[in-house]
Amino acid sequence: MTGIDATSVMYIIEIIIGGLLVAIGVHFVPVGGAPAAMAQATGVGTGTVQLAAGSGLTGLLAAGLMMKMTDDLLLIVASGAVGAMIMIDATMVVGNWVYIYGVGAPPASAKVNYDPITKLPQPPYMAPGTVGQGIPTVCYVSGTIGGLLGGAGGSLIYFALLSINGNPGLSGIFAIGIFLVNAVLASWNIQGTIEGFHDTKFKRWPRVLQAALLASAIIGVMAVMITGGA
Amino acid sequence: MDAFSMGLLAAMGALATVAGASEDIESDVGSQSNPNSQVQLAAQVGFPHRIYNKAISGEPPSNALWCAVAAGTAMVLIEKFAMPALLSIALGAAVAALFNGVFSTTAYMGRNASQARFNQYVFLDVLRTHTTTIMAHAWITAFCITCISYIMAYVLPMTHPFPMPLIAMIWGLAVGAIGSSTGDVHYGAEREFQNTPFGAGLNTMDSGHIVREAEAGVRSSIDNAWFCAKFGGPATGMAFGLTVFLDNWRATIFDPATQGVLVVATGVVIVIILNIYNKMLENYARKKYGPYPEYKGDIEA
Repeated sequence: MTGIDATSVMYIIEIIIGGLLVAIGVHFVPVGGAPAAMAQATGVGTGTVQLAAGSGLTGLLAAGLMMKMTDDLLLIVASGAVGAMIMIDATMVVGNWVYIYGVGAPPASAKVNYDPITKLPQPPYMAPGTVGQGIPTVCYVSGTIGGLLGGAGGSLIYFALLSINGNPGLSGIFAIGIFLVNAVLASWNIQGTIEGFHDTKFKRWPRVLQAALLASAIIGVMAVMITGGA
Repeated sequence: MDAFSMGLLAAMGALATVAGASEDIESDVGSQSNPNSQVQLAAQVGFPHRIYNKAISGEPPSNALWCAVAAGTAMVLIEKFAMPALLSIALGAAVAALFNGVFSTTAYMGRNASQARFNQYVFLDVLRTHTTTIMAHAWITAFCITCISYIMAYVLPMTHPFPMPLIAMIWGLAVGAIGSSTGDVHYGAEREFQNTPFGAGLNTMDSGHIVREAEAGVRSSIDNAWFCAKFGGPATGMAFGLTVFLDNWRATIFDPATQGVLVVATGVVIVIILNIYNKMLENYARKKYGPYPEYKGDIEA
């Protein structure tokens, strides 16, 4: 166990910023939950936390490797962000393969009449009795941004923890824990499904900012105190 | 970049592809993850069935558990008992498969027993034949991912700083997230509802009306694995293989110690290419299938 000094406060702030990035990033990830698995709703057919954690922690692996080679914060965080984006993008592309070739349905958003990026009309391509399916361009771009923020957040948390204790295993597992707390908080705010930044639910993000700020601050202090002695 | 690293990277990509495919088929045989909601609902709306029902948890946490158990066991055998790596990983995966068997059995019996009031039975022959199939696929997933973790932690010239079980846990979580997002859609949206026309997702009115007849006789979950192994499983393998390969490729062709910026820039280029490809895919689908004829709104296609 170690005391809290000025350096520790800086690391706690980094953990808080990382937590906030994760919480906001989850709001960008287009997930349709169980209905999307039956092509009944737009987005990826899984849960918010599941996909955000899958991509964010893949980014953590990339950041962990980079931090072994350099102590440049920007490079480490960028490497984590890019790793997460690659995972979520590969997943969404293959997800669209399944919707298009396996189910035979074109991607369509149910939340907007026209895709804000491509301007393509959406309602005529929505299957009857469903609220959209697949991952149209706006959702895809939103998911990429979500991966970027989640990967960057997770990497920043890992950077702070490893700077304190120098133990990659301990820092990695704590980073996963802090990541999941913030992802779950965001998931409660979303209440199940969200299409991305064009979804009306996205406007709820200021609420989760407050919750994540509080949770990350408490966990940040605990994590620094516990892992500091390792 | 050297030939040895590239060879290992290729092996990791191939192992990841197999792991992804087996993970998806394991979840299809067991009917885990999101499509399970329809299996669970089926008996309640008057369609009792012989589909295996084991929603232990979301796929990412359960696969993270299997892979971490396999890698943890393998690491103990390698480091404390000096056993050969391949044998240790195989034994670790066997322990993970046993864990999987316990969870699968309790989940199947618990879920079906709780639906007795809807005439949903616990079929002991289904339990006997399917549980072993599920365990076998879980063994393959755990074995492949532990091999990837072993290569990353011990074999690559630039070893990963994380301990092997932690790497396996993260890849297990990722393969579960990918399987849940890709291959499961083939099972949930297509295989479970082959009684509805091809070309659309499940109409809300048809919820729970899952197909219970097989190509011959009564449909079991092994029939579902046979179907999903043709597309959903390999697609999941492609997604996980792409993730493992592309993520590690950029750190192999450039040296992260001296060319960190290039490692990141290569990743950004990959992300941009994937975004463009997705747009092309969307255009293809809209052109190929066209708008739904049932649409009566004002917006022109």
